[in-house]
Amino acid sequence: MVATIKPQTNQISARGNTADLEHIREFVKSQSNSAGFGETDAFQIALAVDEACSNLIRHSYNNDETREFVVTVEVANQQLIIKIMDNGVAFDPLSVPEPNMNEYFKKFKHGGLGVFLMRKVMTEISYQPALNTNSPNILTLTKHFI
Amino acid sequence: MNDVKFTIDHQSFGDVKLLKLQGYLDAHTAPHLESALGDLIQDGNHKIVVNFKELDYISSAGLGVFMVYIEDVRMTGGDIKLSEMKPKVFTVFDLLGFPMLFEIVEHDQIALSKFTA
Repeated sequence: MVATIKPQTNQISARGNTADLEHIREFVKSQSNSAGFGETDAFQIALAVDEACSNLIRHSYNNDETREFVVTVEVANQQLIIKIMDNGVAFDPLSVPEPNMNEYFKKFKHGGLGVFLMRKVMTEISYQPALNTNSPNILTLTKHFI
Repeated sequence: MNDVKFTIDHQSFGDVKLLKLQGYLDAHTAPHLESALGDLIQDGNHKIVVNFKELDYISSAGLGVFMVYIEDVRMTGGDIKLSEMKPKVFTVFDLLGFPMLFEIVEHDQIALSKFTA
């Protein structure tokens, strides 16, 4: 279990198993719709969260389904704030350089586009690595209401 | 791998293979498609149309599958053409610039005719 997570109005727990991605997307999409976002925005917000969680499950949790993480959604100050809290090895997705897509296609690369997609569809992204062994890493994805 | 959240229907039109996707293509289900495409190509099929009409969702894991094979099929004179995408699915391709590399058409028939032209 992820330790010392403050209770949030809306949250979902998930395992280090990609089978849980669908539930996470449904939760985020439903929360985004309730907050007033239309179908296109809600779809893209859920996509960004999916990308973040996919990376977490595969690269930090190594598909270990006994490990859990938490996704919270809150609406505040004309913005939707999503936090993904995990107790894996800290990894700041913002440290991933933006790919040159011309080069990417020219060399037929694959993989490594999740963070790029997150940046494309969210207004802001920030990362706070765990401060100590009892606190989680927190990736915050924010979408502003236009 | 069998996953009720994602299915692939196989059809043949001469030497062109048509794969119809249904459901969600994410990090969980992408290995299913990677395996199906890999099997087709290993069996010597290099003209492939993928129909997205019943696909409701795709993430970068799904897009990555097409990147894995596109170079191989084009080196042998083939291609992977994509058809009948829902707008929300097309948006994901478009956000990353994939229409630069992949031919995305409105109907299977257009893709099939390009292979036989």
